[in-house]
Amino acid sequence: MRKQSFFKKILAIIILLGVCFSCIKDTDFEQSDTLVITPIMEVNLVKAQETPDSFLDASGSEVPFISDLVVLEVFTSDFIVENIIKAELVFEITNSINKAFQIKMDFYDTADTLQHSFSIDIDNSPTNSPLITEYVEVFENMSLLALKSTSKLDITISLASSPTGSVLTPDSEGSIRLTSKGVFYLKISS
Amino acid sequence: MRWLLFFGFFVSLNAQNKQLLYGFKEVPQQILLNPGAQVDYRGYIGVPLLSHIHFSAGITGFSAFDVFADDGKDFNQKIRDVVYDMDAKDFFGFNQQLDIFSAGLTLRTSLEDMVFISFGLYQESDVFSYFPKDLAVLAYEGNFNNLNRRFDFGQLNVSAEVLSVFHIGVNKKINSKWTLGLRGKVYSSIAQASSTENKGSFITYPSANNNLNHIFDLDMKLQTSGLSFLDEPNASAGTAILKKRLLFGGNLGVGVDLGFTYQHAPEWTIDASLQDIGFINYSKDVKNYILDGYLEYDGIQSVFPQVVSGQTAQDYWDEVKNDFDELFEIDSTTTSYTKWRPLKLNSSVSYNFGRKTDKECNCLDKSDTSFQNRVGAHLFAMKRPNHFQWALSAFYYRKFYKGLQLKASYTVDAFSFNNVGLGMSAALGSVQFYIMADNLLEYQNLAKSQSVSLQLGFNYIFKNYEN
Repeated sequence: MRKQSFFKKILAIIILLGVCFSCIKDTDFEQSDTLVITPIMEVNLVKAQETPDSFLDASGSEVPFISDLVVLEVFTSDFIVENIIKAELVFEITNSINKAFQIKMDFYDTADTLQHSFSIDIDNSPTNSPLITEYVEVFENMSLLALKSTSKLDITISLASSPTGSVLTPDSEGSIRLTSKGVFYLKISS
Repeated sequence: MRWLLFFGFFVSLNAQNKQLLYGFKEVPQQILLNPGAQVDYRGYIGVPLLSHIHFSAGITGFSAFDVFADDGKDFNQKIRDVVYDMDAKDFFGFNQQLDIFSAGLTLRTSLEDMVFISFGLYQESDVFSYFPKDLAVLAYEGNFNNLNRRFDFGQLNVSAEVLSVFHIGVNKKINSKWTLGLRGKVYSSIAQASSTENKGSFITYPSANNNLNHIFDLDMKLQTSGLSFLDEPNASAGTAILKKRLLFGGNLGVGVDLGFTYQHAPEWTIDASLQDIGFINYSKDVKNYILDGYLEYDGIQSVFPQVVSGQTAQDYWDEVKNDFDELFEIDSTTTSYTKWRPLKLNSSVSYNFGRKTDKECNCLDKSDTSFQNRVGAHLFAMKRPNHFQWALSAFYYRKFYKGLQLKASYTVDAFSFNNVGLGMSAALGSVQFYIMADNLLEYQNLAKSQSVSLQLGFNYIFKNYEN
């Protein structure tokens, strides 16, 4: 009787120890080396709104262009430089001035070297109703490299002549409005 | 007087629910779960550092197998599936306990009156986190396809603590029906960090003219104490600080455990306990980090210089940059704070049956006449920052011999609906040994389980004279 109970106890211990040394099957824990997430961030960038008198000099006659330089150190930040795989700059221009324009975007690095450039043609609005122009500049490969070194954006709005366009005077109506956002495609890997 | 060697060693991977240990009379550690448990031995001494080692971990929402299965599926797709399957109510918990020393003894206050005193010092680690779903989605998708979606930063709720607990308990059998118990505790927090009072959000919504408006509303707080040892360049100096804190040198707190057993009839037992009704006040080595700010950002306003001069390109940028720097500026304070310990409730109802009877009356026979079987239901609940974690078990206890008892349990909880556990306590000569494991059905492949548990142990115990 005594021996039998001893045997049963040992048996129970062996069974339970077997349970303890159970296994982890069909798994590959090395997979975690390759964790990648690909968020897409959308951020407002530069906006501007100008009326016809912005394009006139003190004597009330048209100037050939106006320009502004905007510092954007976001493209050169370490996080963006390391993780960005593609970027789109999305512009929307609403023009209700009866004047055609050309908007030129020049991307400069910290040494003031031109890295990238493009222009957007804007039609005149003969009836002063808002005309919307959308423009998307995609940055990949070489142009993405150029964007990553950009710290300043020079925006130039030049007056353009068009068959139906008028000559601007202090009495000209309407406005030209520009909004822009950046869509940043990121790839962050562990 | 007979001495028994009873060696306590616990390895358990479950979320603090010790459904097999609770009410397991032959294992002295059950008195830590219910200070009012019935005690039928004269005393015990736990082997220092080995009388109770316990690890527990549990996660809801997925198992390691879901992510790490070697099934050829894309790892990132699997992670993504898991992230999208979980919600902000899912959580991860880890708990570890190590007895430094523990003992118990019966004090005879008069010829008829006895109390059972138990005391000890244990070290505990606890980590708990809810799944910050919105932050995970933001990390996965960004805000691009999520315009108008409010990302809730309040879902970030994480806490971690290492502490030591000195405890002394009194257990008294009042009459044939009632056994009551009370345990006082002094907590000494070695290190603590928590971020459980977060509010805030990030939202991007389109306004007129295809413009975007980004609203950051942040009210986040991380409270820490006792982390300065991490800055200690000399490792042994750091260890010395930790040792001191283990012995009441940390941030102190007090608490009590309460419990009772009511033996309604020889067959019926009802018992319940509340553990860790207490708090810790953190005042030493405190460092809090506060992120508090509000910012609406809708782009950099370009003003062509011909119109307004004086503002340079750098100024536009600096303005925006300053706004963001200010938003994400982290203030630190050393304000003391108080935290409640996680309250735990255990309760069970059980029915005893199958009393062993001798065929022949023999007054000299010392064979066991107690009930051989017990069935019952056990409820466990624990206070978490945003919810009560619960588990409900049905159990069957069987006494095979004086020296061999088995207990089986079936548990339903937040982790699974098929948790079967088995526990055993065995006396082998003068050595008593026990082993307990739950989630047995998952043991063929542990990776598939969301929580696993294993406990085994030895102790020295003093048995009753009459035994």
